[in-house]
Amino acid sequence: METAIKLKDFYFGYKKGGLVLKDINLEIPKGSFTVIVGPSGAGKTTLCKAMTGVVPFYSGGRYAGEVEIEGASTQGKMVSDLAMKIGFIMEDYESQLVSMTAGEEISFSLINHGFPVEEISARVSQALEDVGLPGRETYQLDELSGGQRQRLLLASVLAVHPDIIILDEPVSAMDPDGAYNLYQLIGRLHAQYGTTIVAVEHRVDYLLPFVTDMIGIKQGEIVAHGPFAAAARQLYEDEEMRQLLPPLWQVKLGLEQKLSLDLGDWRTETDAISDFRTFNLEGRAD
Amino acid sequence: MEEQKNKPIPELIEIENTQDRYRWVAMAAMLLAISIILHTVSPQLGPVTPNWGIAMYCIVINICGLSLKQAMGLGFIAGVIIVPSSKSAFPLGNLVADFSGAVACWAVLRLLDSFGLPNFKFRPLLSCFCGTMASGGSFTFILLFILGLPLKVWIFGMLPVVAMVAGVNCVIAQVLTAPVKRLFYVQEEEDK
Repeated sequence: METAIKLKDFYFGYKKGGLVLKDINLEIPKGSFTVIVGPSGAGKTTLCKAMTGVVPFYSGGRYAGEVEIEGASTQGKMVSDLAMKIGFIMEDYESQLVSMTAGEEISFSLINHGFPVEEISARVSQALEDVGLPGRETYQLDELSGGQRQRLLLASVLAVHPDIIILDEPVSAMDPDGAYNLYQLIGRLHAQYGTTIVAVEHRVDYLLPFVTDMIGIKQGEIVAHGPFAAAARQLYEDEEMRQLLPPLWQVKLGLEQKLSLDLGDWRTETDAISDFRTFNLEGRAD
Repeated sequence: MEEQKNKPIPELIEIENTQDRYRWVAMAAMLLAISIILHTVSPQLGPVTPNWGIAMYCIVINICGLSLKQAMGLGFIAGVIIVPSSKSAFPLGNLVADFSGAVACWAVLRLLDSFGLPNFKFRPLLSCFCGTMASGGSFTFILLFILGLPLKVWIFGMLPVVAMVAGVNCVIAQVLTAPVKRLFYVQEEEDK
């Protein structure tokens, strides 16, 4: 199994204050769709920044250990050096938009990376097509809705063809429909291009159909890490972390514990209904 | 997990950030652009008009803790961009004026540092006042020569006006420094 991102004995603290990340050891498999969960202030955003080289080399601070992106250490590398391999969408995505039109926005990073003009044009069209905004090159950013601007940012990350995309609570400001649609799109792109996706998300149910791995973080320490089902079982044992699991899995794991069953891998309500029928759970739960 | 908790924390490596390397440039560009707009639209306050350009570069010098070279560069650029829209008798005088204003602002801040006052609340007020005095003083002094006026006009006619502008400017700098800092360091605030 190839590793996309590896953190080894990693510690980090900003200049002021205590350690934000403590003894982080984890590997994110290449091509996986990993979700990071944890309570507020657990260090999720800082963990994302550590994966992109923003922490500690851009932000400054105190650190120990190492972060590797596709086998190469991030030490001494500029964020721009890593940007060809890894794309990052921050929670405050509006602050990442810098241009007047959709086409310029996507071209910006490509121009900075020195792509030829013809290739930029082709990549811009393809990226807009991929995120469901075909032909919007000349649209002003204020002509796009919030959801469309978020898709545009995703397009500008996709246009670089990074191997890894990190999303820090990308749907926190969206309505449920918008959030659902964005994750459907990310799930489709993940399946289509095999891009490694890492997403911080409070509502894991949005990405339940696609997620392959999960990381649980609490007070700066990793409390669970691995394939989704195994990590979910670990998190279920912790009352605080249990609340962060998708409701469907809270029900599943609760039933498994109560009835000593081994239920299937519930990704949709249909999976759950199927198990309910197979094991006659309605009658047994009573 | 217990083993993890008992693990000693290794020696941490302290690392300087690189994000501030160019942030001051972005901040200066934005604030100077705003100052140009304000320069053309802001009304006269009695006998004086605030000099937004000086107030803005003083805010940048205060927030970003610029080096002397950076402050000199910023002052020069501020002078260059004000020349085309200047209504004065000698627009090129702005090049010298803003250069000296930025250097004076920088010098006052270093002086406060040397007095052990790096967190003094009124650093923007004091440094902007001195910066404006230096800028306005040097500009009017150049005008004195260009127009061939007597020194008394400079001392009793021009400098009091410069002092009034400095008074307005330093209040602007003092009031705006905190919000500008919050705006440009919003990410760090969230991290904390």
